[in-house]
Amino acid sequence: MTSFTITLANQGGAAFDVDHRKPLLQSLREQGVDLPYGCQYGGCISCAAKIISGKVNQQAQRALNNRQINNGYIILCVARPLSDCTLEVGVESHDKLYRNPFLDPLAAHELKADIATPLDEEK
Amino acid sequence: MTNHCCGPGYASPAEAMTAPREKLLYTIAIYTGTGIQKPDYLCTIDVDPESSTYSQVISRLQMPGIGDELHHSGWNACSSCHGDASMERKYLIVPGVRSSNLHIVDCGTDPRNPTLFKVISGADIKTRTNLSAPHTVHCLGSDIIVSMLGDAQGNAPGGYLQLSKEFEIVGRWENSMGGIKFGYDFWYQPRHNVMVSSEWAAPNTFMPGFDLEEVGHLKYGREIHFWDFEKKEPKQTFYLGEDGLIPLEVRFHHNPDSSHGFVGAALSANIIHWWKDAAGAWQWEKIIDVDNEPHPEWPIPIPGVISVILLSMDDRYLYLCNWLHGDIRQYDISDPHNAKLTGQVWMGGLLGRAPEVNGVKVTGGPQMIQLSLDGKRLYVTTSLFSTWDNQFYPEIRTNGGCMLMVNCDTENGGMEIDPRFVVDFGKEPNGPSRCHETRYPGGDCTSDIWV
Repeated sequence: MTSFTITLANQGGAAFDVDHRKPLLQSLREQGVDLPYGCQYGGCISCAAKIISGKVNQQAQRALNNRQINNGYIILCVARPLSDCTLEVGVESHDKLYRNPFLDPLAAHELKADIATPLDEEK
Repeated sequence: MTNHCCGPGYASPAEAMTAPREKLLYTIAIYTGTGIQKPDYLCTIDVDPESSTYSQVISRLQMPGIGDELHHSGWNACSSCHGDASMERKYLIVPGVRSSNLHIVDCGTDPRNPTLFKVISGADIKTRTNLSAPHTVHCLGSDIIVSMLGDAQGNAPGGYLQLSKEFEIVGRWENSMGGIKFGYDFWYQPRHNVMVSSEWAAPNTFMPGFDLEEVGHLKYGREIHFWDFEKKEPKQTFYLGEDGLIPLEVRFHHNPDSSHGFVGAALSANIIHWWKDAAGAWQWEKIIDVDNEPHPEWPIPIPGVISVILLSMDDRYLYLCNWLHGDIRQYDISDPHNAKLTGQVWMGGLLGRAPEVNGVKVTGGPQMIQLSLDGKRLYVTTSLFSTWDNQFYPEIRTNGGCMLMVNCDTENGGMEIDPRFVVDFGKEPNGPSRCHETRYPGGDCTSDIWV
């Protein structure tokens, strides 16, 4: 198996070796990390974490809009690592996850991927 | 008086109104989305004014795991089973919207200390029915159906899960979802062979939070559906358009002979009324339109966001909550075509009208409500849904939710917040939690249907 090292920046830099084939939530929970989660199908955002460095494959996520992705959020229940990663996890990492939609609207390119206008086509 | 020779509930709404006063409430409270790594739980609250623990949580039943997001709940049996002496209103079905787990809670053996009887796992439900995200629970006189807002991957429209009275998965209840795009709440009125269902959004859309822009992209509902209840398939759809953006709670008159019903359109902040006309055709109209309110610091006026409605047991009053404005309203709907505003109280909300009530800072706004069978006491909680709370009322993380009680004048109309009653969920033993739907052991104004 290919394994990568996941470092949790907001848990004292604790590091865990994980299987690249498994979702990060599963790998980290199996090693005793206490993380929030909900639907476990990539749709509910409860397990969102912020990626500080590294790359993941999170094609299966349906929860994040493009602004949240641009702010570094990943959905741990479906994200699989493509490299060593450093993450901030838990609600502590959610400082940019939620916004008041009436005060802070999304631009057309910041919507979810299935309805977003590509940035170069946005007026 | 309850007829003890028969099954659970009451022979009629009029009989329900004469039932003894509620002494206990069951209210769900959540840690999902709060940062506290504890399970959501079911609170038992003492509402007997003669008791030394009046207005306090007297027991807490934790769910087995974290992250369920408990939300709504329903009884295994109600007045629809009144004629069946073998049935008993004993088990509360408490779904987790995010986990899809259904918790079957025994409230009958020791009503002051409910216990977990069984869990139907979300994984089982997904595998066997391709459904997820349970919401509304109604018993059908024996079996139970649950509206499920998504398929096993969180896509709309989902469908209806049928459980046997022994809490085994029977399968999908409906024979067809027709052209329905989304699910949410439902209510049936069997003497008219009808069920009406409403629309929130796909779980993958509403669970992560509210992107207002997605309304324009038709990711949120704006239709209601009339079902042939016996055939278990939708028969007619009303497109409500801009008047009916995000139609949520569905309430038929309690009177089982009546065809009148109502739905609250959350984002449009309207009440939609429907009825069957003399020719037997269903009709609809808007009867209440809550104006958007200006906010000193916002560029656009705030919609009320009607997150809940309910009807008193005599079908005389309709109550609604404007979760963002912060008010609860009472309308006299004796003439259901002409709703008359008869009462209004304020708690929390974004307009700053009542930031503190009974010594507790109200974070959030009036949200789920439950009315006593006699129509005189309305219990109110303040949290909507964890991710939406986090967007509109982020201080709820540290303050928690709260429960208040409103005294309702059933003779002349009018409402007043009871000064003696407040449950501060900011002071829960494991840290601030958020309270949502409430049920009473003896049934309430949204639990029972007469067949």
